[in-house]
Amino acid sequence: MTSTNTLPRVSAAEVRARLGEPEEMIKAKIGDRIDPHARRFIAHSPFLTLATADAAGRADCSPRGDYPGFVKVLDGRTLALPDRPGNKIADSFRNIGENDGVGLLFFVPGMRETLRVNGSAYVTDDPDVLARMRTEAKAPVLAIVVDVAEVYFHCGRALIRSRLWDPASRALAAELPSAGEIAAEKMNLEPALLDQLLEDGYRKLY
Amino acid sequence: MQKTILERIERVTDDVVSLVLRGDEGPLAPWEPGAHIDLELPNWLTRQYSLCGDPGDLSAYRIAVRHDPLSRGGSEYVHLFLQPGRTLPVSLPRNHFPLHPAAEYLFVAGGIGITPIVPMLRSAVASGAAVTLAYAGRPFAAELSSAYGERVRLGRPDLAALAAEFPAADVYCCGPASMVDAAEAAFPAVHTERFEPTRRTFGPDTPFEVGCARSGGTIQVPADESLLDALNHAGRQVPSACREGVCGSCEVIVLEGEPEHRDDIGAAAGRMYPCVSRALSPRLVLDV
Repeated sequence: MTSTNTLPRVSAAEVRARLGEPEEMIKAKIGDRIDPHARRFIAHSPFLTLATADAAGRADCSPRGDYPGFVKVLDGRTLALPDRPGNKIADSFRNIGENDGVGLLFFVPGMRETLRVNGSAYVTDDPDVLARMRTEAKAPVLAIVVDVAEVYFHCGRALIRSRLWDPASRALAAELPSAGEIAAEKMNLEPALLDQLLEDGYRKLY
Repeated sequence: MQKTILERIERVTDDVVSLVLRGDEGPLAPWEPGAHIDLELPNWLTRQYSLCGDPGDLSAYRIAVRHDPLSRGGSEYVHLFLQPGRTLPVSLPRNHFPLHPAAEYLFVAGGIGITPIVPMLRSAVASGAAVTLAYAGRPFAAELSSAYGERVRLGRPDLAALAAEFPAADVYCCGPASMVDAAEAAFPAVHTERFEPTRRTFGPDTPFEVGCARSGGTIQVPADESLLDALNHAGRQVPSACREGVCGSCEVIVLEGEPEHRDDIGAAAGRMYPCVSRALSPRLVLDV
């Protein structure tokens, strides 16, 4: 077996040669604004992943979720994401400060296709934007605004193959240790205590 | 919850639509003018809307919804995404704004605040009482004028002049916060309904404890948690909707102790709304 740091590397040109060119129809589906279909998708999406990168291009991806439509469409070219309490590591914020390029992948439970939105982002505290994100009578302190450059629906093959929305797939989680057990190994603490702390933390979502 | 089917959506003005929600399992629960329902939207949000149709027709409820430019996702969803034919669960009607018997009525309404007033006005006129509506707004203005003629005065009302003109009238006001505030200042007594919480400041949130009379046990409510959340986290399920003290769905009975009422409903003696209200005494005992 080859050592993992010397696996063969395939150049971008060679990758393109092996995969072939995408069909014109696929290229044509990339839009530059939030059309009514994309808007309806976003209005029903409770979850997305947010990809950012720092000044050197080192990438990061984080989950964002809330009630469906928690991402607000401000106009056909602008989205806003609330910043809900998280781990305060704020990788996304730090990256956006260095490099405004972002990639969003929206999911709707039960829907095989996903929506991809790429653009440039900045952080705002505009009171009207924050007011639209108020939940549980609390407004977020900050929001990420995305100036949209590309919008397109991604085909459902990955979600079909992954059986992501098949209720039977949930059995996979039972095969994993709890988050407390995973962390306990690293921190040399009691797993039950960590699980309890985690559950207590999950009680305060806003 | 009652199951309804969204029969149709009709445009009322540029930013207001009216919804007809037909009962899907026989007649809907009866209601009195001034009542509202919780509407459960497909995006998991629950919103309160006053019933503005005919209480005599229980085959369907009618509501009207203004598209709030600062919508958090309720009115925007209704306007942009809701489709006729969809099943929509609605609560039983609740009424925090009932019409009291009187010989003379004055209604003051602004904008979408006209919705609870529409059936109240009809009922008041039918009772034979003297009725006046002062209304600053466009939704239903033409229909009301043609139905009730000179009883309806359109345009921005001069509240001080109205107070002087109708000293003996039973007064009801529903509209934007600024109008309700002004009405409370202008009239010695006025029944009001607010669609949004009043901006007020309270003392700092402090911890307190709650005795559960029905289920037993004591719950500690920390300073940074609402009483509603503390109850639910401790397994005492209390239903809720607006979570900001305007809808009344989380009402609980207070047996001992002194609540600090922070709601906009006006809790009756021995009741409180735990989504916003806390305690002045170190301990409350609730019927939960």
